[in-house]
Amino acid sequence: MKRASQATETSQIGRSVPRLESWLKVTGRAEYVHNLRLPAMLYGKIFRSTVAHGRIRRIDTSAARAHPGVQSVVTAAEVKTVVPDPYYGPAFHDQPVLALDKVRYVGEPVAVVLAADPHVAEEAVHLITAEYEELPAVYDEVEAVSSKAIVHDALKPAGTFPDLKHLKGVKNTNVALDFRLRRGDSAKAMARAERVFEHRFRTQQVMHTPLEPLVSVAECTEDSLTIHTASQSPSFVRIEIARLLGWPENRVRVRVPFVGGGFGAKLYIKLEALVAVLSLLVKRPVKVSLSMEEQFFTITKHASTFHIKSGVSRDGRIVARECEVWWNGGAYADIGPRVTQKSGFTAPGPYDVQDVAIDSYAMYTNLPPAGALRGFGIPQLVWAYESHTDMIAREMGIDPVEFRRRNLLREGRPQATGTPMRDAAIEKVLERAAELIDWGKPFDRGSGTRRRGRGIAIGFKACIANTTSLAAVNVNADGSSTVYVSTVDMGQGSDTAMAQIAAEVLRLPTEAVTVVHSDTDVTPFDMATLGSRSLFHTGNAVKLAAEDARAQLDALRTQLGLAPDTPIADLFKKKYGMRAGSVTGVANFIPPYTPPDENGQSDNATPFWMVGATGVEVEVDTETGRVRVERLVNVADVGTPINPRIVETQLSGGAIMQLGFTLFEKMLFDGEGQLRNASLAEYKIPGLLDLPAEIVNQAVVAEQRTGPYGAKGVGETATFGVSPAIANAVHDAIGVRITELPLSPQAVWEALQQR
Amino acid sequence: MAPRSLVLSPFELAEPRSLAEAIALLQAREGTVRPMAGGTALMLMMKAGVLRPTRLVNLRRLGLDQLDVDARGALHVGAMVTLRMLETSPLVRKGWPVIARTLRTLSNVRVRNVARVGGHLAHGDPHMDLPPLLCALGASVTIAGPRGERSCPVEELYAGYLETTLAPGELITRVSVPAMEGRRAAYLKCTTRSADDWPALGMAVVLDGAAPRIFVSAATDKPTRLAAAERVLAGSTLDERVIGEAAAAAQTLAIDGDLHGSAAYKKHLVGVYLRRAIHEARQPGH
Repeated sequence: MKRASQATETSQIGRSVPRLESWLKVTGRAEYVHNLRLPAMLYGKIFRSTVAHGRIRRIDTSAARAHPGVQSVVTAAEVKTVVPDPYYGPAFHDQPVLALDKVRYVGEPVAVVLAADPHVAEEAVHLITAEYEELPAVYDEVEAVSSKAIVHDALKPAGTFPDLKHLKGVKNTNVALDFRLRRGDSAKAMARAERVFEHRFRTQQVMHTPLEPLVSVAECTEDSLTIHTASQSPSFVRIEIARLLGWPENRVRVRVPFVGGGFGAKLYIKLEALVAVLSLLVKRPVKVSLSMEEQFFTITKHASTFHIKSGVSRDGRIVARECEVWWNGGAYADIGPRVTQKSGFTAPGPYDVQDVAIDSYAMYTNLPPAGALRGFGIPQLVWAYESHTDMIAREMGIDPVEFRRRNLLREGRPQATGTPMRDAAIEKVLERAAELIDWGKPFDRGSGTRRRGRGIAIGFKACIANTTSLAAVNVNADGSSTVYVSTVDMGQGSDTAMAQIAAEVLRLPTEAVTVVHSDTDVTPFDMATLGSRSLFHTGNAVKLAAEDARAQLDALRTQLGLAPDTPIADLFKKKYGMRAGSVTGVANFIPPYTPPDENGQSDNATPFWMVGATGVEVEVDTETGRVRVERLVNVADVGTPINPRIVETQLSGGAIMQLGFTLFEKMLFDGEGQLRNASLAEYKIPGLLDLPAEIVNQAVVAEQRTGPYGAKGVGETATFGVSPAIANAVHDAIGVRITELPLSPQAVWEALQQR
Repeated sequence: MAPRSLVLSPFELAEPRSLAEAIALLQAREGTVRPMAGGTALMLMMKAGVLRPTRLVNLRRLGLDQLDVDARGALHVGAMVTLRMLETSPLVRKGWPVIARTLRTLSNVRVRNVARVGGHLAHGDPHMDLPPLLCALGASVTIAGPRGERSCPVEELYAGYLETTLAPGELITRVSVPAMEGRRAAYLKCTTRSADDWPALGMAVVLDGAAPRIFVSAATDKPTRLAAAERVLAGSTLDERVIGEAAAAAQTLAIDGDLHGSAAYKKHLVGVYLRRAIHEARQPGH
C-alpha cells in the first residue's frame, strides 16, 4: 500500500481513519502465532485432570512414551528440573505449570505429550492414565467461605501488591482476598432510613470465546528464550518467565503479532510458562495451541453472588448502601483479587450515597479459573445494583429514570472511596440513553402472548491503577514515523488510534505512521492491554513521545536556521548532507494515584471514570419465556473520540457480547465439577439472528481533560448496563423479576409460573 | 535423538464408483467402517475423538444426487443431494414449501451447502429438523444393502438416540415424499439458547382432514408420533377447544430434560408448539 508522508494541516483526531491493518487482515496476510511454524518445531498436547479435587497418586505415561512418533511426555516432575518452584500468577503464585501433587479442577493440565505431528501427540494423550485420591470439592462461591473443602493448603500472594502481604501463608481458608470499604456509618444510616431494601443477585460462569484460541510458541538457545504468543501482556510475560527461570529479563524475548480477540483471556501467564519449560526440556521449538474446547478449562469470567441492601429516605434518596460480593475465582486466583478490589469499590453504583459499606471476597473453588473479561467484574456488579435500583424505584412508585436522577453521583461529589468525580458524564449519559429509548413515551406494549417492555441501566468503572506505559516515536529521514509501544492490537483498533495520536502531534497523515508490534527486545514496557487503559495510558505516552520528537525536530530546524515550514526530509538532508538519520522521542506515562487506606478510602483512586448506559425494548413470549431484544441503545462517556467509527464498533461489540452473557451463555457443571457443555455446539454465543433489529451506539459530547486529546478508553463501557436493562425491561413487560443470569426462556417461564 | 517416522492415526478413504462396490467396502470384517455423505457430523465426531474410523466410504461418486418428481407427483431425492439443493429447488418450493421453509433455519448456509439428505437422515441425531417433518409427510426411504433393495417409512428408520434400523452394509439411496395434494403442513422448532442452536423441541404437523400426522423430535430420543393428539384432531373441527385437547393429549408423552431445558419445561413446550404448529399449518400458503 502506498502511504504519503507529506505534512498535513488536517486534524487526525476525530477522523474515522480506516484501520491500518484492515487490508492485511482481509487479504489473509496479517501475522498470527496460530500460523507460525518453526524448523524442528514440536507440538504439545495436554492431558487434563478428570477429577475436581484430588491428590495425584500416579501418572502412567509409559504407553504414551512408547507410541510411535512421540518425542517425549512431560509431567510436573520434569518441569521441576527446569523450574524448581513452578508456580506463577499475577496476584498469587498459586498456579503450577503442570499440576503438582494435587489437581484442583476438572480440566487442569497434568501432562503434555510432545511430537512433531500434532495428531500423534493428540493420539498419545489418550494413552496416559492418572490415579487420584479424591478430596472433597467446593464449587459455590458462598459455600466456599465455610466449606471444609480447602482448595489451597496455604495462600501464596505474589508479593508485588502491598495490600496482599497480610495473606501470606494463611491456612484453612478459601478467601484469597477480602476487600473492605467503609465510608460513614452505614448501619446507623440504615436504621434511620424510611425504607430498607435487600436483594441478592447471581451471575453465571461464562467464557471469553476469542476466535483465535490461546496459542504460544517457545524457542530457546542455551541461555536465551523467545516466546511468540497471543498475549495481551507481553511485558508481564517477560518478567514472570524471567522470575520463574531465575534469568535476567534481557534473555527472555516475548513477541506478540496480531491477536485474534482477547477480551481478557490472554492476560498474564497462560501457556507461556508451559511452552518455555517444554522448549528448554527438549531443546527444540515447542508450540501449544488450544482447541476452542480447551479454552473452557483455561480462563473464564467470574460467577458471582451480590447481596445488596439500601436504605432510602421518604423522598427517594439512597442514604445508605451495604454491599457484599463473593467472586467465584475457580481453582487459581489469576487476576481475581484485583477484580475483587478494583471493581469492588464501585459496587454501590454511580450514586451519591453518604454511608457505605463494601465487603468483596475473592473465593477459591474447584472450578476452572476466572479472571478478567471485558469489564473486569463491573458487569456483574451493575447487574445487581441496577436491578436493585429498579426494584426500589418500582416499590416506591417512582419512575426508574427519575429515581436515578435524584441519586446520581454528580461532578465533583465524592464516590465511595472518597475520590471526587471528575470528567464523568454520568448525568448526560443517563439522559441521552433515556431520550434515545424514548423513555416515558407511549409504545406498543403488545398483547396476548407477546408483551413488550422497556428498561434502562447505567454503570461506571474506574480504570485500573497504579499502571504505567512507555512509548518511543521515531521520525525517519523521509519524514515518516514509526511508533514503538507494547500495546497489543487484538481487534480493538489500537494501532490505528496510536498512529492517529502520533500523526496529530507530528502533523502527518495517520497513514504515514506505522506501529511496531510488541516485542520486548524492541518495544518498551507496558503494563498490559486490559481494562480499557491503553488509549489513555499508552495514548498519553505516545503523545508525549511524539511531542519529544517534534521538539527535537524544532530544535534542529532552529539550529540549522531553516524556515518553520521546512519539510522534515529536507531537515535531515541538510543536517547529514544526504538522506540519513532519525530522531527518537521517548516518554513514560504514569498517572497520579493514592492507594486506598484500610477503609478503602483514597483521594485519587482512578486515572479516569468510564460511564455507560443501556436502554432496551424487549418482547417476551409469555408462553415460552423467550426474551427478544428489539431495540438496544448504548450510550457512553468515552471522552473525545479519536476515531468515531472504531468507538461505535467497540460499543456495539461490547453490548452484543454482554447480550449473550445476559440471555443464554452459561457454563453448565454437574455435581462433580464436570463441565457439560464444553463445545460451541452446546455453548452458544450470539449469532446474527440474535441481534436486535435496531442498535444505536452513541458517545456523548465529553472530554477527559487528562486524556490524549480528551480521550479515554471505550472497550468495556457498553457492557455495563446491558444485563440489568434487559431484566428491567422484562419486568416492565410481564411483571416478573429475574435475579440470576442468564435470562433463559426456561428461567423466565418458571418465574411466570410462580407469579 | 534421530527423528522418528511420523504416524498419523490412519484411516482409509474409499471412493467407490458403484453402489455394489460401496456396499462391499462397508462390510469390512474388522475395524470401524462408516459411510460418508457430506461429513459435517462425521468430522465433528472424529475431531472430538468419539469416532475413530479405520475406513470411510465416500458416497459422492455413486450418482445419488438426482432430484425429481414422478408421474404421480411424488418427490424423489437422491441421498447425496445437498440440503441447500433441496432448499432452493423450484420443484420443492412449489410442491413442498414446508420442506424449503424448514431448511431455511436448519443450521446455517455453509453447513447446508455441504450436508446431504442421506447423511442427515442416517445420523440418527434427534435434534435434526428433517426427520420429524419427513415422518409427518409420510415419506419413505429406499435402502440398498448386501441383500438387495428395500424401502421403509422414515419413521421406521429410527431405533433410538443416534441409533437407526440400518443393518451393517446398508445405505440410504433415496427419499420419497408423497405429493401434498391439499395437505397442509408446518414444522416449528424451539431453540432456547442462540437462534441457530440445536432445537430443544421440533414439532411437525401435517393436517389431512381425517388423518392428521404429528411428530415431535429433540425432546425425545427419536422422532416420535403424537398418536394421542392425532386421535383428538382426526375429523374434528379445529377450534381452540379441540386444539387445546390435542395439546393436553400430546403432553402425556414421556419427555426427558437435557441441556436445552428441563423435562417440565419441554413438556410445556410440546403443548405450546403443537398449538402454534397447527395454526401455522392453517395459514395460507402452507
